[in-house]
Amino acid sequence: MKKILFIALKEVISFLRDKGDLSFSLVLPIAIFALIYGAFGSSLQFSGTAYIVNEDPGGRYTDLFLQRLSENPGLSLMQISAASAERKLARSDIQMVVEIPPGFSENLKNGRSTSLIFKQRGNGGTDGQIIAGLVRAAADSISRELLAVAQVKDAVANIGIEQQQIEMTVQKFLVEEQTSPVLTIGETLTGDRPEPVNQFLPGVVTMFVLFSVNLTAQALVEERRKGTLERLLTTRLKISELFIGKFLAYTMRGFIQTMILLALAYAVFRIFTPVSFLAAMVVALVFAAAASSIGIIIGSLARTENQATWIAVFFTMLMVTLSGTFMPVSEGSLLGRLSKFALNTYANDAFRTLITEGGSLLATSGIAGHGWSSCSGYVDQPAGLPRCPGREVGWISSERSGFLPLTI
Amino acid sequence: MAENFVVVRDLYKSFKDVIAVNGVSFSIEEGEIFGLLGPNGAGKTTTIRILSTVIPPDKGDVIIGGYSLQKEANNIRGIIGICPQELALYPDMSAFDNLVFFGRMAGLSSQEAREQAIANLEMMGLLERAKKSRVDKFSGGMKRRVNLAIALMGHPRLLFLDEPTIGIDPQSRNNIYETIKGLQAKGMTILYTTHYMEEADKLCQRVAIMDSGKIVAMGTPEALKSQFGDPDKITLEEVFLKITGRSLRD
Repeated sequence: MKKILFIALKEVISFLRDKGDLSFSLVLPIAIFALIYGAFGSSLQFSGTAYIVNEDPGGRYTDLFLQRLSENPGLSLMQISAASAERKLARSDIQMVVEIPPGFSENLKNGRSTSLIFKQRGNGGTDGQIIAGLVRAAADSISRELLAVAQVKDAVANIGIEQQQIEMTVQKFLVEEQTSPVLTIGETLTGDRPEPVNQFLPGVVTMFVLFSVNLTAQALVEERRKGTLERLLTTRLKISELFIGKFLAYTMRGFIQTMILLALAYAVFRIFTPVSFLAAMVVALVFAAAASSIGIIIGSLARTENQATWIAVFFTMLMVTLSGTFMPVSEGSLLGRLSKFALNTYANDAFRTLITEGGSLLATSGIAGHGWSSCSGYVDQPAGLPRCPGREVGWISSERSGFLPLTI
Repeated sequence: MAENFVVVRDLYKSFKDVIAVNGVSFSIEEGEIFGLLGPNGAGKTTTIRILSTVIPPDKGDVIIGGYSLQKEANNIRGIIGICPQELALYPDMSAFDNLVFFGRMAGLSSQEAREQAIANLEMMGLLERAKKSRVDKFSGGMKRRVNLAIALMGHPRLLFLDEPTIGIDPQSRNNIYETIKGLQAKGMTILYTTHYMEEADKLCQRVAIMDSGKIVAMGTPEALKSQFGDPDKITLEEVFLKITGRSLRD
């Protein structure tokens, strides 16, 4: 036991003595976190561009549609040619385009059903999905108005009221409805803004602890390369004692790294309660131990430092991707199912639970879901985000005629 | 006549298709410096790795200090020290910390390890910078001396020295010679490999010349030299070349 502790102590002292290594391992996560905070922290409000291929320029309803769309805060419109849209989609420069077909306005004016067309890569990306929702909302409002006019026209068809007067009267009611809507949506705010620290801190912390997998693996391979492993094997030290010593050392290293980051987050952002901070320490220790074990396994398998690095990098990227640290992973997808095998999934969820709910360790147990949903972005984000493209949308329909003025 | 401290009988070791050690047998008396000489790839280092319990032999018997290698390897580890050909130390630690660490791994208490580290460093002329500098700041000769000082931690009875003087200045080499002679005077048994024949001639009571995994000649340097001419005129290097040939080895 003494030998194990002595090996662990030697490693930790070496880590603490190496000022370069120490500062990189501690300053780098802080710097990366600051970078992410700077990039996303101040702009969680949606901001995006809707690319429009307008094949019906100057049409009355085209202009109305574009005007409705432009009324959405944070959304800017950019009209591009059909050829340019094809090229940009092919190159993945853009993820989604809305096409207004030729005769769009004329069809609507004459009561014929017409469609807006989404052209997109895959699911259009998160921004594309949000924009799709906004496009649907704009189309929906026009559709409702046209339907209302059509229904009134039908109702008063035999009374002999002029077409223009019907339209003006309906328009008047619609404006009134817009001014004083029957159904409104209220907003309740929790906090003054979405909290990027809560969202990104767990990911940054767990990602950097996972990077230490590489260091642990390297430590073993280096021991072999330097010849010290062979020298140690000629003493009475058991190989298991060496492994356990290394495991303890790199668990401590990962734990120290996490502890400093979490303590900083506690002091600066006030995201923990004293109880949840202590619970986060326990989670950090367990996660560091798991990462260290994986590093030991990789170090045992790899024959060279390069091999160890590549295996560890592959493993780290896989874990970060599967856990949805920065990119959403859909719950029901294959990736979502595979994520159950990713260490970070559990660590991220545990940290998020502790941060957002200030909970105890018990609250973190048995969690294996994601902080992200593929459709609506981060689940803790305020509601109001659109439905997924491809899902059937509840468009208004007329029982009388089945007339759908505007669809997508 | 002193008792045999090391007895090696019919030792074999292969790596895939390469036979590294091919039926090697020799013995070393207690307190003797025994030289294992041979060109590159002769099997010297593999023999040392087997005797120092790092790799098992395919076949053969080895008795060290009365312990069987196959059955009592852990007891053998308690009585051997190894100074490998490559520097096997922690460059980011001081010489003192390196010695204390390996001393602890050899089973010494903290106090014993510190005391022995100081004694060994003093013997190697390294005490002054032992605690101040990291080993990677040392010269090549100093690193070699640290490498040897580590091997002495735990008071081994048998010391394996695998080319301990390679690539160092005459002063450091001389210091290592003096240390080895001093250790022998204290009764330590030493298995010594080197490419410097003059060194072997000066230090070793007996030498074995290995080639292609086999021992092709064995005896005192004087006896080997007398097989090929006047021992006062012929050098051990000339004997070595006559026995192993002049063709280049990989």
